[in-house]
Amino acid sequence: MGAAAPAALSTGVMSPQDAARIAAENGLQPIGVRPSLRGYLRALRQRRQFTHVLASSKAYAENQGTYLGQLWSILTPTMNALVYVMIFGLLLKTNRGVENVIGFIVVGVFVYRLFDEGVNTAGRSIPTNGNLVRALQFPRVVLPTAGIFSKYLGQLPSMLVMLAFVLLSRFVPRNVPVPVSWRWLLLPVAILLLLGFTLGVGYVFARICAGVPDLLNFFPFVFRILMYASGVIFPINHYVHNAALERVLEYQPVALYLDLARQSVLHEPSIPLMWSKWLLALAWSVGVLLVGFVFFWRAEARYGRE
Amino acid sequence: MSEQDLTVPRPLPATSADTADEPGAAARVLGAPSLVAQDVHVTYRVVGSRGRERGAKSGGGRRARLRRLMDRGREHTGGVTEVHAVRGVSFVARRGESIAILGTNGSGKSTLLRALAGLQPMSQGSVYVDGVPSLLGVNAVLMKKLSGERNIVIGGLALGLTRAEIDAKLDEIVEFAGIGDAVYLPMSALSSGMAARLRFAISTARVPEVLMIDEALATGDAAFRQRSKERIEQIREAAGTIFFVSHSLAAVRSMCTRAIWLDKGVVRMDGDVDTVADAYRDHIKADKREARRARRAKLGEEEWQRRRQARRARREARRSAEAAESR
Repeated sequence: MGAAAPAALSTGVMSPQDAARIAAENGLQPIGVRPSLRGYLRALRQRRQFTHVLASSKAYAENQGTYLGQLWSILTPTMNALVYVMIFGLLLKTNRGVENVIGFIVVGVFVYRLFDEGVNTAGRSIPTNGNLVRALQFPRVVLPTAGIFSKYLGQLPSMLVMLAFVLLSRFVPRNVPVPVSWRWLLLPVAILLLLGFTLGVGYVFARICAGVPDLLNFFPFVFRILMYASGVIFPINHYVHNAALERVLEYQPVALYLDLARQSVLHEPSIPLMWSKWLLALAWSVGVLLVGFVFFWRAEARYGRE
Repeated sequence: MSEQDLTVPRPLPATSADTADEPGAAARVLGAPSLVAQDVHVTYRVVGSRGRERGAKSGGGRRARLRRLMDRGREHTGGVTEVHAVRGVSFVARRGESIAILGTNGSGKSTLLRALAGLQPMSQGSVYVDGVPSLLGVNAVLMKKLSGERNIVIGGLALGLTRAEIDAKLDEIVEFAGIGDAVYLPMSALSSGMAARLRFAISTARVPEVLMIDEALATGDAAFRQRSKERIEQIREAAGTIFFVSHSLAAVRSMCTRAIWLDKGVVRMDGDVDTVADAYRDHIKADKREARRARRAKLGEEEWQRRRQARRARREARRSAEAAESR
């Protein structure tokens, strides 16, 4: 230490006040404390390219290391849909009260997977990116965000496969043909609304799973129940006959987004276009996204303690 | 056992080696403070493992056996062990200083650096710093399945460079890492040395106000070590403050002006690099002597002498064998 150094600069005891004073005099910023919400948003804005590149790279990396490479992003959903065609179109001869059961199931399964995989990736995002967290400083919310974006990007091809199967379902017996209509243009809107909701739920998940990793083993079961309760592979009203319960199951957010997707793509008399549902879905998206973001931000200084 | 300290603190007074009275110290030009650490504590949480005292044994008898059985089950479920790695470190670093952090394995050097860089949450205390400090480590693993080029982009963006800046620096980074066309292969196809060089090149792409280096010079071949040393020298001239963790006392003496000696998470000494390095070296030697003495006392004089004779005999045999071979 220089001879002119004040007593507080020598090693040993330093009071928090001394430290804060020296910092203030020299324009130093505190580290390891949670930034303000506004500062956090600004930092996130600065890293939007980072988020984007991380997301697209992760989506790309998913299919690396195989001979067919990126072809798998089409092959995997195709085979997935073929399984449903085989089981529900050819083996089980039931139409479950819908005109086009193949379309109903394929849309349900593919759109539900967006949510399911997105939230699961977000939940794992802090522990699986431990190396990045320990090596570089950036707003941690980038990680769940990029994780969910990568899942959505990675499943864009599967959305095309989904539409193809909806069209081709006319060749399967007992399936009423689905016409191509202007309503297909609503599908991206439905997916965007679902993305907002997935992000919000994902942020909540990312925070609680960073604290209690055990939940990652527990949540798949919750999601399986949620899948059956959201009418992914059968219409809720076909099996539930209690009016109040039916209402709850129909308007719970996940079922709502599936409904929007089916309104856009399918031509079912039992699933008419209802704008009130679109407004409700928008409210769910914005509300859950905001709550989730703030919830994640509040623990910002604690990520990476494990 | 919610909180258990795995290391036992030895009651050692922190020797303050204030160099203010030495003639050379006053001549050194120091800038304004660039980093203030005040009573920094870091506690790791290790989820899913229960720390155990070594040699802890329950007694005999039926009750104890039952307890042991239950303990055996408990060992594998639940539990959080807290490791108190850094225990109250305070100092002020100034512009133009390069500070070595010395200490044996497990003394908390790397943890302290990560806390100073804002990468490791502190359990107590505060750190104030100028700008965004950058920690240069060998373990900044990016994405293994992606190409080196993709990793450069990701790393650069994470460091806060813009896309245009990265594109401009890409060639320089590849050339510095010396990996040539291998940059287009997935990281998993690169040798570990190549990957380490690339990581080093990525993390030095941006010159920060405060740079922290954690054993980064240990990687790579001699030519790369020389290049990275030059790069660090450049950064030191441009950057305000450098923190340097290394086990090589020679490297520390040649690169640093000040040293902080950490012992079990506590600052044992802080001051001029030569003074601290000398004291540290003497301490290590004394520790080794002490260990030898303890062993001798434990084994008993006779056994000790017998083993010493045996050791000498083995050494003699090896030497004569080597000599015979070289002849």
